[in-house]
Amino acid sequence: MKSKAGLFTQSCLLVFQGLSLQKQAAVFPAYDREKSQKLSPKGFGIMSEIDALKAQLESLQSEALAAFSAAGDSAALQQLRVHYLGKKGALTEVLKGVGKLPPQERPVIGQHVNLAKATLSAALDECEAELALKGKAARIEAERLDVTLPGRNKSPGALHPVQQGLDEITAIFAQMGFAVAEGPEIEDEFHNFDALNIPPEHPARAMHDTFFLKELTHGDDAEPMLLRTHTSPVQIRTMKRFLAENGEPPLAVVAPGRVYRCDYDVTHSPMFHQVEVFKVDRDVSMAHLKGVLKHFLSTYFEKDVGIRLRPHYFPFTEPSAEVDISCVFCAGKGCRICKGSGWIEVLGSGMIHPNVLRSVGVDSSEFSGFAFGLGVERLVMLKQGIPDLRLFFENDVRFLRRMGVSK
Amino acid sequence: MKIPFSWLKTYVSLTATPAQIADDLVRLGHEVEAVELPRAAVKGVRVGLITSKMPHPDADKLSLLKVEIGEAEALDIVCGASNMGEGDKVPVATIGTSLPGGLVIKKGKIRGEVSCGMCCSEVELGLADESAGLLILPADAPVGAEVGEYLALEEAVFDLSITPNRGDCMNARGIARDLAADAGLPFTDVTPAAVAIDAAVATPSVTVTAAQDCPVYMARAINGISLADSPEWMQAALIMAGMRPVNGVVDVLNYVMLTMGQPMHAFDADKLSGDIAIRAAASGEAFAALDGRELKLHAGDLVVCDDSSVIALAGIMGSEPSGVSDVTTNIVLESAFFRPARVSETRRTYAMVSEASMRFERGVDPLMVATAMGQATAMIIDLFGGSAGEIAVCGDATAINADRTVLCSLSRLESRLGVEIPQATDEVLARMGFTLSRQGDALEVTVPSFRHDVSIPEDLSEEYARVIGFDAIPTLLPPLATTAPAKTDRSIHDAVAGGFLQVVTYAFISAGEQRLFVADDGLDIALANPISDAMSVMRRSVWPGLLNTAKRNLNRQQPGVALAEQGRTYVRSDRGHDEENVLAWLMTGEVESDQWYGHARAADFFDLKGAVDGWLALRGLSGRFIADDSILGLQAGQSAKIMVGRVEAGRIGRVDADLADQFDIDAPVFVAEINLDLLPTGKQAKFVPLAEFPGVERDLVFLFDRGAASDAILNAIRSAGGKLLTEARIFDLYDGKGVPEGKVSLGIRFTLQDGKRTLTQADSDAASSAIIAAMDKRFGAALR
Repeated sequence: MKSKAGLFTQSCLLVFQGLSLQKQAAVFPAYDREKSQKLSPKGFGIMSEIDALKAQLESLQSEALAAFSAAGDSAALQQLRVHYLGKKGALTEVLKGVGKLPPQERPVIGQHVNLAKATLSAALDECEAELALKGKAARIEAERLDVTLPGRNKSPGALHPVQQGLDEITAIFAQMGFAVAEGPEIEDEFHNFDALNIPPEHPARAMHDTFFLKELTHGDDAEPMLLRTHTSPVQIRTMKRFLAENGEPPLAVVAPGRVYRCDYDVTHSPMFHQVEVFKVDRDVSMAHLKGVLKHFLSTYFEKDVGIRLRPHYFPFTEPSAEVDISCVFCAGKGCRICKGSGWIEVLGSGMIHPNVLRSVGVDSSEFSGFAFGLGVERLVMLKQGIPDLRLFFENDVRFLRRMGVSK
Repeated sequence: MKIPFSWLKTYVSLTATPAQIADDLVRLGHEVEAVELPRAAVKGVRVGLITSKMPHPDADKLSLLKVEIGEAEALDIVCGASNMGEGDKVPVATIGTSLPGGLVIKKGKIRGEVSCGMCCSEVELGLADESAGLLILPADAPVGAEVGEYLALEEAVFDLSITPNRGDCMNARGIARDLAADAGLPFTDVTPAAVAIDAAVATPSVTVTAAQDCPVYMARAINGISLADSPEWMQAALIMAGMRPVNGVVDVLNYVMLTMGQPMHAFDADKLSGDIAIRAAASGEAFAALDGRELKLHAGDLVVCDDSSVIALAGIMGSEPSGVSDVTTNIVLESAFFRPARVSETRRTYAMVSEASMRFERGVDPLMVATAMGQATAMIIDLFGGSAGEIAVCGDATAINADRTVLCSLSRLESRLGVEIPQATDEVLARMGFTLSRQGDALEVTVPSFRHDVSIPEDLSEEYARVIGFDAIPTLLPPLATTAPAKTDRSIHDAVAGGFLQVVTYAFISAGEQRLFVADDGLDIALANPISDAMSVMRRSVWPGLLNTAKRNLNRQQPGVALAEQGRTYVRSDRGHDEENVLAWLMTGEVESDQWYGHARAADFFDLKGAVDGWLALRGLSGRFIADDSILGLQAGQSAKIMVGRVEAGRIGRVDADLADQFDIDAPVFVAEINLDLLPTGKQAKFVPLAEFPGVERDLVFLFDRGAASDAILNAIRSAGGKLLTEARIFDLYDGKGVPEGKVSLGIRFTLQDGKRTLTQADSDAASSAIIAAMDKRFGAALR
């Protein structure tokens, strides 16, 4: 800053000095009014009047040209233009001497004067153009920036990686024609369990590590309310609502949301995110389930992933299947992540149990459906190579910034 | 559940490798968590042929052996045993082998003679505790073969996760039956040896008054046993299967349970008084459980009693006093079927899990109740002597799950699976115990008693799918319906676009944190079973979570943070509860860092207000920020409610400094929240012709009393400025030198514009005069 300001001050000074009267002699060295007046009478004896004028013109021209090229800036040039070519300028002075010439010689010297005028004028234009160029070059040089300095920029925000996962997953299903639905996180036992074919004494109910809520009950039986352990209750709620509005299937729904399990260690978070996907229509088959899974998983992982269904048990589907994908880290060859098996378990799925359809009033002899629920954190961890579930909920801004960069 | 491979082989002669069996199990729906190889340590021990035996030149008791192990050169081995001779075949631990005792074989010199391995006894192979000398192998043992493979010493143990619907597979027999059926191999069931009944041994009589919960109960007395530890093979087997040996009787019962699937119990007959009754517990009845707990039972719990006390919580755990101990000589065995739901409920009530309860609640095979009794009796008498009395029986096991027939349409099943069901799969199901008949499209299936999980056609579709293999089902995209695309919620995305980092914090916070921003009005929703006090109440404000996140990051040397979170808050309401969708912000510390173009700057109120304003503007809304000194947890004078339209949609302000201090944050902390559910839908922008005539801009500087609210001033200017006024803003705020005490100088710039004409000096003068008059009238403010 300091050096730049200094330069600026100096150039200002120069311009100012150029304009100052005291320095005129220095600026216009080729012209001295007294000197030329003294010269003229002296020359009468030696040469003719016209020759004297010619000589005077020539010397004036060469003086002027020298002065032009010596001029430091366009303001000085402007001064010179006035000085030589102005109404009261030097050339006009010379023309005054024309009156002393015989009339027949006057046009001759007139031509000379006009020629000199044109020459000087052209020279002035040229000098001006040159000066302008120089000036621009100098300005450009003076304004030169270090373009590698950082831009003036607020640090950008970032979407949480789980949000990115939810967005991506939901979008894939939305593009396949699944409607997006949501449901409450505080649920009753009917929607979280009973309607999903998990009666109170069912062993699967215990596996859900349910959080119950104090003094918050539902219905006449004062059933305790709970934090939903999965997004499957949205299946029940959405089907009930849909059927009330439309009478009967088809419907296809994707339901993202937060779920809770009373389990907290290195690989379990008491709160996490799931996406529930289901479709109910005539003749929906397990082959369709596989088709949708394959399409979804290949789209999400941006490669053609192999899928493997393993028979499993979920109360709300029959048949039920755990779904593995060919390991995205070793392409199925076997590595640390897939524990050498070449497969990674990603979600649970199946054909919706007739009891579930019955609980919402769908005739299971006419309609069938598939459903699956996927863990968002797990998919994001696999896709982004995040090693530890806890990172998602620590919210270290370095992690968030790093993972917030989306392609 | 752990099942040793060798147990499976007693039911079916499986030739596949453990890895192949594991794959088959997975395909059949039995998740294999691990295949353990407990005796893998004998790897490297090979069958060696002794070709020469010479005395050691320097030691009387040592021999120099040359042993062939099928490689180019015979091994020189120095050996201290004496029971071997030339031509014998012995196990040779080659160099590098590590033996079960932990010994690693190295090349070495023994009294000056090179030894390249070790000939082994049964002790060194971990097969016995003592031995007289080397293990001499049969003459036909193949030289060079792995001894472990040759002797079938190698054991694989399948660690299985049996799904809750397959109680029949919580044992070796059930798994073997599935594998045999799948592989088409014969299944050989274990038949218990006949037991002689001693009429002198009196079994207590059994009465069941809760027949629904206990459809069959069997008891048998065995008197005069000499209780000892169970044999080593059984102890080793139990340990492999993941159980701890206890005493001879208990071990036998556990072994029977693990192999046949029927949990049993033994009482010390001398500790019982009178007969056995199975009934519902009385409320408050006492029970001293085997695990040391003293329970007060609930009415409805199913109990086994003698004349004086509860001797077992049925199917879950016996009582401490009635249990078998070292001095027991007379026992009563129990074998029964308890209703799964009953066991499950009681088990959960007392948070009591046992191997027995796990099986009962998944459903045992009713037909095994008697078989297991026979097997256990035979084994106990065989191992520990004694004589058995008659079996006292209550109920009929064959009536349980009997004759269940499922009728269905084959084409419906095929449509459900999306694949054809070949006739051949019926044979596999038949081997699994089903009886099937096809009549065109009609399929009739009789379900065996142990498959209580199969009762409807959809259940059969799963059975077929397992047999066909899920891999054989094609992969098809269903016909896709199109739906009207839902409007996606861009709330958090827009907050992030404003430079904030999205965080996700837990929906439960501590009760103390709840009180920071929400007064105690009894509307909190607390968890009945929280993980910890720090996660015990459903949040009613997102701010505590954000403060904790800020604290954690500032502790990690971040100079400042700008955080946003979208999530729900939870509160009791007339409807029971409400979940509100909230967007919250937090800013603290540096918003701008030291840079070549400027200095670091700490966040202030207007940074956050600007962010909220900008966020509202993106959805076609504008907020009015109304100073509110009464917001709990926020500093008076730096807090406001945010009105959007007529709705109080949110709040903003500086966190009380003492409160921020609780989070170890020194810098001012600013927070805001918007209740997204209350937010009106913004107006979609509508086209308005762009003004063709230039506007006129005028500046006026007034002296206002300190405390005049700028939005009130601007509103007054807007109304005074008339229709031509298109914009008014404060471009300067000054209260320094030259401004009288108690006053503040505000510079106001306003723009006048008319779409139809160019404005004149008279127009702007008129507006200026009107504004000046309004400022005077409304605020007593004069031009400066």
